[in-house]
Amino acid sequence: MRIVSGGQSDVGQQRANNEDCFRIVQPLNLFVISDGMGGEAHGEIASAMAVETVVNTCMGEQTRTIAAPAETQAGWSDKTRRLLDAAQLANKNIYDSAEADPQQQGMGATLAAAWINEEKLSVVHVGDSRIYLLRSGVLQQLTSDHSLVAEQVRRGILTAAEAEHSELQSVLLRALGTQPDVEVDAEEHILFPGDILLLCTDGLTRMVADKEIAALLRSESDSARAAEKLVALANENGGADNVTVVVVHMEPKESGFLSWLRHGAQKNAGKNGSA
Amino acid sequence: MAKLTLMFEEKTVKEVSLSGKPVGIGRSPDNDLTVDNLAVSNYHARVYVDSGKMVVEDLKSLNGTFVNEMRVERATLKHGDSIHIGKHHIKVDATGEAPASYGSERKAATPKINETMVLDTKMRREMMQQAAALGERTQLAAGRLRVPTLVVLGGKTDRQEYTLTSKLTVIGKSHLATVRLSGWFKPKMAAQINKQDDGYYLGAGDKVPSVNGVPIQGPVQLKDGDQVEVCGVRLNFIVRE
Repeated sequence: MRIVSGGQSDVGQQRANNEDCFRIVQPLNLFVISDGMGGEAHGEIASAMAVETVVNTCMGEQTRTIAAPAETQAGWSDKTRRLLDAAQLANKNIYDSAEADPQQQGMGATLAAAWINEEKLSVVHVGDSRIYLLRSGVLQQLTSDHSLVAEQVRRGILTAAEAEHSELQSVLLRALGTQPDVEVDAEEHILFPGDILLLCTDGLTRMVADKEIAALLRSESDSARAAEKLVALANENGGADNVTVVVVHMEPKESGFLSWLRHGAQKNAGKNGSA
Repeated sequence: MAKLTLMFEEKTVKEVSLSGKPVGIGRSPDNDLTVDNLAVSNYHARVYVDSGKMVVEDLKSLNGTFVNEMRVERATLKHGDSIHIGKHHIKVDATGEAPASYGSERKAATPKINETMVLDTKMRREMMQQAAALGERTQLAAGRLRVPTLVVLGGKTDRQEYTLTSKLTVIGKSHLATVRLSGWFKPKMAAQINKQDDGYYLGAGDKVPSVNGVPIQGPVQLKDGDQVEVCGVRLNFIVRE
């Protein structure tokens, strides 16, 4: 498969600063987004730290590993374990930084990361940033939000529709950096040519309905433009929060002449950005 | 003079008289009644007198202000009323003479309810309990562990039974599929089941599966006992507790 991606982050229409952060590491096929929280500019510090720690750990620059938690399943690939370690380390780095500097008290960040290795996808996440998979035209969420309302839906207290209108949507049950230890969700999935992966912060999903997101991903075949259009949609619908979107296309491998023709035409294939 | 008494369970925490000035209630220490509980907003509510009437006003608090068990934004108080904020309650004693009116010219700062916050374990438990107490459908709220299983009724698969633990279960010929089909001309990815917060949804892959004999039009939420058929394989979706 040929992997083509694009990303975009925007402050939105109502916030003063962008506390989201994302990175696309093309050589590794690693995609990371984070939504920071905490007053003043500290949300930005937390999300940048989350993204940086994950990228560095996966690139092998940070070799220290934390003992894998009990929930680590046997049979997981090295990459999935590495991502889990990376998320744990990010938690520790943010927590330690907040402990050391009273001004940073209470800062934290969400994390959603996807790492593609041939047909295998490793995902980890903490908080309410999401990873979706569009396959055969169906948009499927690969992450379960660690938010109060999502937990209430899982327990049958709220319906999914009620949750969308709840005023408690901003209440998270887990985030990086707010506790010395954090439980990180991790999973492995298989990918097929034609699959589209979407990583996004809640600034997108609270402004744009899943149906609209699916329709846009189906109609826009350029990943970078799809990311831009999704951000624009969130802003048109009010842009209440920072919005960050990364779109990844799994394209069938082209051979011979076609591949040669298109060689060099890969523009906008990846864009790295941060808040 | 009217009196407000902040109580925690049966213990009196603090008592204040209501004069011409509004009484601020919240977690921040500069309130007249400080409620030290993380489920309480910094500036949660205030009580003041307006045209001779005692009024409680919720300051867009996260978890709400309740008067005699009813959630209110603004409510007139009478003697004997009880205001609930988090796990605390405030008894209203209006036996004294009515204080001078307080015009609401002072606009209280609106708290930022949009700010993301994270609950610690204790708060989380408390809030889930609160939510369960308020919510309908509490009979389902216990959070029982439910394990959905696909039982193979017919067709060639690699196992007889599959427990659905993943967010996404793939049915197909791919060697990485959860439910692996065998045989020529079987698609790599025939159908897929996505676990969402409110249940399991069956979606099409390279083929359109049927549920109880009816081809699906789009993702369909599976119910206990449903029969799924795709590529000559029949599966029974069962939820075990």
